[in-house]
Amino acid sequence: MEILKISENDFMSFLDKKIDEKAEKVIGVVKKGSHFVFNELESSDKLALDYDVTMLPPKKYFQPPKELLLKYKPGNPESYRAVNNCDPMAIVGIHYYDLAAIYMMDRAFSEGERDEHYMKKRDNSILVGLYPTKYFKYRFAKSVVRDQAYKVADLMMVKMNGDYVVEVVSEKGKDFIKGGNFIENTYTLQEIDDAKNKVKDDQKIPISVELIPDYLGKNHGHPVWEVFGEKCFSCGSCVLVCPTCYCFDVRDEVELNLEEGKRIRIWDGCMLEDFAVCADGHNFRKEKGQRFRHRIYRKGKHLPEKYHYFGCVGCGRCQYSCAADIAGPVKVIKYMEDNKQGGQNV
Amino acid sequence: MGSKPKVAFFDFACCEGCQLQIANLEEDVIGLTNLVDVVEFREILTGKAPEYDIAFIEGSITRKEDEERIKDIRERSKLLVAFGQCAVSGGINRLKNNRESLEDVKKEVYGDSYNMPHLDTFPTKGVDEVVKVDFHIPGCPIDKNEFLSVVKAIALGKAPSIPNYPVCIECKLRENECLFDLDQVCLGPLARAGCGAVCPSNGVPCDACRGTVDNPNQNAMHEILEKYNYTIDEIQRKINLFGVKPEVKK
Repeated sequence: MEILKISENDFMSFLDKKIDEKAEKVIGVVKKGSHFVFNELESSDKLALDYDVTMLPPKKYFQPPKELLLKYKPGNPESYRAVNNCDPMAIVGIHYYDLAAIYMMDRAFSEGERDEHYMKKRDNSILVGLYPTKYFKYRFAKSVVRDQAYKVADLMMVKMNGDYVVEVVSEKGKDFIKGGNFIENTYTLQEIDDAKNKVKDDQKIPISVELIPDYLGKNHGHPVWEVFGEKCFSCGSCVLVCPTCYCFDVRDEVELNLEEGKRIRIWDGCMLEDFAVCADGHNFRKEKGQRFRHRIYRKGKHLPEKYHYFGCVGCGRCQYSCAADIAGPVKVIKYMEDNKQGGQNV
Repeated sequence: MGSKPKVAFFDFACCEGCQLQIANLEEDVIGLTNLVDVVEFREILTGKAPEYDIAFIEGSITRKEDEERIKDIRERSKLLVAFGQCAVSGGINRLKNNRESLEDVKKEVYGDSYNMPHLDTFPTKGVDEVVKVDFHIPGCPIDKNEFLSVVKAIALGKAPSIPNYPVCIECKLRENECLFDLDQVCLGPLARAGCGAVCPSNGVPCDACRGTVDNPNQNAMHEILEKYNYTIDEIQRKINLFGVKPEVKK
């Protein structure tokens, strides 16, 4: 893997050039109030790469919260036409745990029947990663993410003194930086490694990630589900802000003339009360505790068993956005460890 | 329903602002009249009809004659839709139910005329406390696009879809900072979404003007109250504003 470097100033000029060229939308992290969000950039001035976490992960660009899938004329099966807005984009400053999450999303949307709405957006995107430069009190990514980030990143940046070291991960990344003042790297691998690990996580999952599927399986009846479920608002914040949650609902909307229709998909989530309601009104997960357990099982048991990776990347957004202060996987597993059933859980 | 459904609008105790939202549909009014046949709508047309496919009811029920009138409308309507928070839960009008003496309320509002026979009111009721309601359209005022979606759904023979998730969802979608973190009491975690979190997005805490979700977790509100040093009274006062159940447990 080629390793280059660029000064911060040159990197900003490079981005401004990219924005002017309009070959792709340039998206980056910007400040909103006292927090951060991904947003399209009009110039590099607003770019805020020194950030702790963004409110929503970059998944909103690949699976928009409300997405038009197709247009049709009611009652006319020949009239269905797919619509897919997949203009090229480059997203700058994605932390490694969000890249790991995109890797998981890619798996979900490419397996079996390829989801063209998601995958075409991914095909037309350039992902510029960044090692975090700022501490975030709820982050525990180091204890759960392995090497998935490099499976999707096109470029990985490491902040050094006044410079960015840029690891050129893909051909797409190599093409993207053509024309910028990217020069030969002069930092040692040890220096780069130290910079990558400079920001520490305070939190970590208290047991080894590999053991969690079994651990959860044996704790299906643990009181944690009911105790935490009782406090849950079923507000769905935790699943909405989650970078590895991709559940959606599909609806048809018809114009007032009843002659034009569109099919849309919108974000949905297993923590919402009506998520598992089926025909005739039966709800497969009627109780809050059932929904709470399902969400943790999904991250810690179902996905690992299917794909062999932990389904949570430790970004800490769920814990941060939970009004009731119960959503974080670290908190859940700590509670289970502190309240072992029959003396042991595993 | 075959030919265009016959639709009527009626108002009870309210400010008529929700009807105004419909009158404000502008060009969509034409689309609406292509879809339904509006046979009664005091605010925008004259005319009466003996029966209706859909009766839209605005306002709360506060008098004996209101009760008789709504029962009569119900009997002559195939479907009845309560629209606007007054019709759905009693709305702001329900505030008076929290006062000890209705007599004092009348004196305070109507002064010397308080004893006039048409002002003889009882504690405010939502429409479904008097007659069967087929669908509710919440909000103070209603969202006109949500109203249209309900009309379209009924015209297509489908059940209308009203969000049953809290306003927090819509705040997260707009990437708003949580107002609790800015030291404000917000009913977002209990309140029914569908407004696009318009108030919190503009720095104003949610007052649950669309009521609560079907099963709000009022007990969990305790956790927040403690965490942010709020009193139960502060939350309860806000919940009372739009006549919304439930009570926060002490």
